[in-house]
Amino acid sequence: MLYRVIDAVELPALVSAFMESYEVVAPVKRGGSHVFEVIQSPDDMDLSYATTIASPKKYFLPPVETLMTFDAQDNGVTDYAAEITPRVVFGAHACDINALNRLDLVFRDGRYPDPYYVARRAATLVVGVSCMPADTCFCHLWDGDEARFGYDLFLHAIGDKYLVSIASVEAANILEAACNPRVATDADRIEFRHATRRRQAAFNPDIPDIQDVAMLMDAFHSDPFWEELGGRCLACTACSAVCPTCFCFDIQDALDPDGSTGRRERVWDACTSPQFAEVAGGHNFRADGRGRVRHRMYHKLNGFLANHDRMLCVGCGRCVKACKADINPIRVLEFFEGKGADDAQ
Amino acid sequence: MPSSCAVSTVRVAPHEAGPEPRTGAQMMAANPYRPWPARITSITDLTATEKLFEFRLIDERIRDAFSHEPGQFVELSIFGVGEAPISISSSPTKRGFIELTVRRAGTFTEVLHTMQCGDIVGLRGPFGRGFPVDEMRGHDILLVAGGLGIAPLRSLINNIHDERSEFGKVTIIYGSRNPSEVMFRQQFEMWRHRKDFDLHLTVDHPDDTWDGEVGVVTKPFEHLEIDASNTYGALCGPPVMYRFAIDEMRKKNISYDRIYVSFERHMKCGMGKCGHCQIGHQYVCIDGPVFNYWEAKNIQGSM
Repeated sequence: MLYRVIDAVELPALVSAFMESYEVVAPVKRGGSHVFEVIQSPDDMDLSYATTIASPKKYFLPPVETLMTFDAQDNGVTDYAAEITPRVVFGAHACDINALNRLDLVFRDGRYPDPYYVARRAATLVVGVSCMPADTCFCHLWDGDEARFGYDLFLHAIGDKYLVSIASVEAANILEAACNPRVATDADRIEFRHATRRRQAAFNPDIPDIQDVAMLMDAFHSDPFWEELGGRCLACTACSAVCPTCFCFDIQDALDPDGSTGRRERVWDACTSPQFAEVAGGHNFRADGRGRVRHRMYHKLNGFLANHDRMLCVGCGRCVKACKADINPIRVLEFFEGKGADDAQ
Repeated sequence: MPSSCAVSTVRVAPHEAGPEPRTGAQMMAANPYRPWPARITSITDLTATEKLFEFRLIDERIRDAFSHEPGQFVELSIFGVGEAPISISSSPTKRGFIELTVRRAGTFTEVLHTMQCGDIVGLRGPFGRGFPVDEMRGHDILLVAGGLGIAPLRSLINNIHDERSEFGKVTIIYGSRNPSEVMFRQQFEMWRHRKDFDLHLTVDHPDDTWDGEVGVVTKPFEHLEIDASNTYGALCGPPVMYRFAIDEMRKKNISYDRIYVSFERHMKCGMGKCGHCQIGHQYVCIDGPVFNYWEAKNIQGSM
């Protein structure tokens, strides 16, 4: 990896340079929180945030996306050409970049590359920025407090400067044209090390680190805990809407008003939605909150791990805030910590 | 004007990807969500609620590229209504046509049941992992179907039939609730006196027309002689049947990894993405729908 140093005051120039060729999406302050939005000026951006309400996944998997158009009269398919805007997602944290890397495993690198996702991912530059954890953050437990790849630039804040990891030629050219990147000094490297240590020390110590959570979930698959946790699920699906790694979807046909033509669309869906596992004839394989919430947690902390050797949770903590019924992975970790303590007595 | 407005968009047309001329396989891979037009060439009433549809893909390149293994499924489209995963009932030995057994069980299948020969639908696939036919060759086969479970198993049964000399002893147990629900009855009636198929058609509730066996699908196991070291089991049926039929196969000492089951879930994308068919860590659409019993046992929530 190539590293260079820029001054923090050079950041607006970098954003402006990106805006000449791309639509720039960045964290913007909204009320007491932050959201990812298209910005019109570097001044719109506010990088002093811990977590945005929702992740930037919508720029890679839109909530509703047309897959093709059709003529319902003769069942003819019209091949569909998606118009994709070249974009920069500026100011993403390590958790969100690690989340994108997981989406890549499903939508880009598998046996069936998804042409819509692949095109969006390829047309989008990602500029990461280092952060300090909120008390709901637990990315460090899943080894996710650093992004090792999956971005074009990553800005590590070191005092009034940034140590920049440069990962793509496209971004390197813009960085060089807009800023005055220079070789890092020993003092820069020491400051980087200090900043990293400060972040590592700032995580909420009350969130337990359960290394064998995946195996414990298999062992306690029938525990009453799942009824306790899932029984209070309101099926609002807010958890998966804000989650940077939730990618489940439905495929639906939307007819135009004349009823003869229409669009086949991919729409976000959620495994905590009551009808999610229903089959033709009405049988529902996960008919209650217990089954649905347990399934969601298993996919996050157990199943994806079995298939891809990493969790499908990046510890961003968004669901901790979004869930009105207090259901989140931290509660699962706490349960297993309690189990261990009980057994030891 | 803000400069971001000047950004020009990139056109992404999956169907245009790749150089011409293109093979059917390349055309399908360019956009695996795109269904290909297929014409209904034959419709056979099987029961009051089930019909056998035969389809022919219209584009010759797609038709030539389409090949499947027993146990795989396709995504069938009626535009404006939607898409449904349906297992293939025809044998891979039958080229150029695809047969699907469809029960009228919801909006999509209601509409399909009103369609006529000559009508056009959309097809994409095949998807999933089927029965390991190549591995099964040279061995005895014990097939157990319950109700609509005959739909995917018929593909395997007809495959074995067409290549009969490549398989050992073949036993078929097919259970239905009552005689009017027995599908492919004509085909099986014709096979009743064949020496090379040990066929057990059984119903729970017989009527005056029924002169076959009576009882649940596990009943014929009582008199079955099985060489466990040389036998593969294949099952498909309603969820409640699995435990009992597998128990019987295990009692006959068929190995865990030689008992194959096919699972029914709502596979919406067919490609391990949409999540609807997930059981535990497995996607029924790409890891299955056919699993051996050892794999199935290791999926949390499978049975």
